[in-house]
Amino acid sequence: MTEPRPAESRGGVSAGATPAAASTPLRSSALGRVGLWMLGQWGARIGMGWVLALLLMAVFAPVVASSHPYVWKVDGRVGSPWVEHLTAADVVLLGSFLVAVVLVLWRRASGAWRLQAWLWITAAITATAAARALPVLWAQRELGQLPLVFLMTAAMLLSLLFVLVVVPWWSSASVRAWSGTAAVGLVLCGAFWAADVRPPANIVYSAYREATAAEKVEWQLLPPLAYSPSDYQRDRMSAEGVDPRVLPPSLRHPFGTDESGADVLSRMIHASRIALAIGLIATGIAVLIGIVVGGLMGYFAGWVDLLGMRIVEVFSAIPVIFLLIMIVAFYGRNLYLMMVIIGITGWVGYATFIRAEFLKLRKMDFVQAAHACGTPLRSVLFRHMLPNGVTPVLVLASFGIAQAILIESTLSFLGLGLVEEPSWGQLLNQSRSAAGQWGLTIFPGLAIFLTVFAYNLVGEALRDALDPRVASSDDS
Amino acid sequence: MNQHADPKPLLQIKDLSVSFPGASGRRTQAADGVHLTLYPRQTLAVVGESGSGKSVSAMSILQLIPTPPGRYDKGEILWHADESSVDLLRRSEKQMQAIRGNQIAMIFQEPMTSLNPVYTIGQQIMEAVLLHQQVNQQQAVEIATSALRDVGIADPSSRLKEYPHQLSGGMRQRVMIAMALACQPELLLADEPTTALDVTIQAQILELLRKLQREKNMSILLITHDLGVVAENADVVAVMFAGRIVEYASVQDVFQRPMHPYTRGLLRSMPVLGRHVDRLDTVMDGATVPEDFPAGYSVAPHDPDPLRVGRYGGPNAKLHEVAPRHWVLCTAETDDAKKTATVPELAYRRASAIAVTS
Repeated sequence: MTEPRPAESRGGVSAGATPAAASTPLRSSALGRVGLWMLGQWGARIGMGWVLALLLMAVFAPVVASSHPYVWKVDGRVGSPWVEHLTAADVVLLGSFLVAVVLVLWRRASGAWRLQAWLWITAAITATAAARALPVLWAQRELGQLPLVFLMTAAMLLSLLFVLVVVPWWSSASVRAWSGTAAVGLVLCGAFWAADVRPPANIVYSAYREATAAEKVEWQLLPPLAYSPSDYQRDRMSAEGVDPRVLPPSLRHPFGTDESGADVLSRMIHASRIALAIGLIATGIAVLIGIVVGGLMGYFAGWVDLLGMRIVEVFSAIPVIFLLIMIVAFYGRNLYLMMVIIGITGWVGYATFIRAEFLKLRKMDFVQAAHACGTPLRSVLFRHMLPNGVTPVLVLASFGIAQAILIESTLSFLGLGLVEEPSWGQLLNQSRSAAGQWGLTIFPGLAIFLTVFAYNLVGEALRDALDPRVASSDDS
Repeated sequence: MNQHADPKPLLQIKDLSVSFPGASGRRTQAADGVHLTLYPRQTLAVVGESGSGKSVSAMSILQLIPTPPGRYDKGEILWHADESSVDLLRRSEKQMQAIRGNQIAMIFQEPMTSLNPVYTIGQQIMEAVLLHQQVNQQQAVEIATSALRDVGIADPSSRLKEYPHQLSGGMRQRVMIAMALACQPELLLADEPTTALDVTIQAQILELLRKLQREKNMSILLITHDLGVVAENADVVAVMFAGRIVEYASVQDVFQRPMHPYTRGLLRSMPVLGRHVDRLDTVMDGATVPEDFPAGYSVAPHDPDPLRVGRYGGPNAKLHEVAPRHWVLCTAETDDAKKTATVPELAYRRASAIAVTS
């Protein structure tokens, strides 16, 4: 417990936090102070760095690893197969990242406001993507599989709601700022709708290599890793006489290939999307349910609390892994169902935390004062009490994300996870039967380990930052 | 001056009883048949020791007592006590929300904890304004700025962006007052507004309240246990003990001719500046029955354990107008005396207050 503090004082001071604090009076809330403190922690820096790297990997997966050339000139025509094969999810992720970069660079508005604007725009684009994709999927009768876009929309909207409730900046934004955000969002959504992003249904990855071999291509610009995650290199046997399956790491395939001949590194990069999504969505659902149930329990106390605690006990007795295996047996392999199940069984911890906080907060003077001002109950609960009691839940949530990633990996390893889409656990599962391909064991295993470790580091640093004893010794 | 002669009461609490579950299944009577009448522009001070039911009575006005565990046993609270009056106790939560903060505002004892630490003070004042008034953001900012200026905070527009932990205790109480007054309430419930402040700040805050009362024509229900604050600010005083009002009179009458043993004990126990004593008097030391207590009434001696005689003063004790415009909790013995058990109503306002407004 005492170890990180000297490192913090050295790292934090040299990182330039102090000059900034000295020149401008720290006009920050409690959460802002926690954030500053965490930036000075090595553990938290490493953890957040890795999560950020994962995030970048998830956003830029098609840029880094794809069989489609960015641009090429074939038969005298210049074209971009890469752009043509972008999916709606790719465009949404890249677009919202671009908006984020623009907002980070645009320093005239407050940070809180920019975050909110970004959330609004992202949610709008995602909703547009979902609306655009829905009729197509409906026509293809694929709705039963709960498409990714649709679920991402739901998750985004839920997290948006969550953030709007948790982080309260309503009053600080002016009408002009709001209308500006709305205009930018509308333009982006309109452009997205008009572009009608829809990749071809059947993709023949070998066509690019065959065209190159036949010298039809005058010039081309390939991504750094020229293999898509589902590029099984079916042409390689006939072209080179090499079986592309379970090849050990080489210069061409840095992490080797898996048992269907796909590049492991490419699959791992694309799998970071699922690793992030399962953690965030499952935990997001759990936190939302936990906050609502725990908040009501803590605020009303009495028989509501009694009833709520019984429900909590029932839910905490459910063995999640067995339930998931059973669900897979009945409904087939479905990642999104998995997220929902992890979410609706995992809320008990958050509920008890929020309940304890609310039991304490409901007697506080500022809650009484809010009542005496005529504030409606929902506003008292979620605008006045929640921001004061949500911090322990954030700590628990970072551990919960790690937990959800582990559960998904476990299921995939048992062969109950995804089939077509890449996931780390599924790669690890293949390594059991792939003798000699050591890349299939080490790298996915390392990725799972590092990610879980990173989230745990962040959670631990958050916990330390919120510990009043650490905070007070930090002040002195 | 004529319009002051017979004004209509702004708020009338009649026979209010509030109870909470106590030990061994018996309910503790936190307020027991409380009568209070408040006139426009009047300051009514409710005095008493901790647990005497002052805050419970005030919070009942806004229905802020959590039920359960609390329970409104009987009584009514008439707001705008005339023909069109409404009983605040019978109003729904939704109707109460329109009254809280808008017509009746409240400020609390502890300025350190009664502001939400995660919001700037501007956001908190504007929330109250936006809740009750049809204004947009810009207008709300202006109202909040002028509210802060009214309570004497320098550079209000930059103060709006500060968080409560950046302000001192006195500043926070000023902000609380600004929040309460931003919607121009007719009645301000001040629940020990100066208890947590040091003496100089206390004087400033009370002076500020007096000034704002004159400017905005509002009534104040001042809850306190500080008799010095009462003497300086109140028009009418209600002394409470064990959930009952024991004496109700104008501020002069209470300080010059205290009639009830408890009030007498309370006044005796006030230390006097410059007089050297080895040991300060307690309430019991001064709790004597006055020799000139009017005939026909018998007043119970002060007993610190109100449960020993059932309820304080016994079940037959009622508020009687034993002297003109002076109500005391006592038992009537003659039929004539029994007729004086009336609901106390006192439109008195001290001369200084009237002189300024008219």
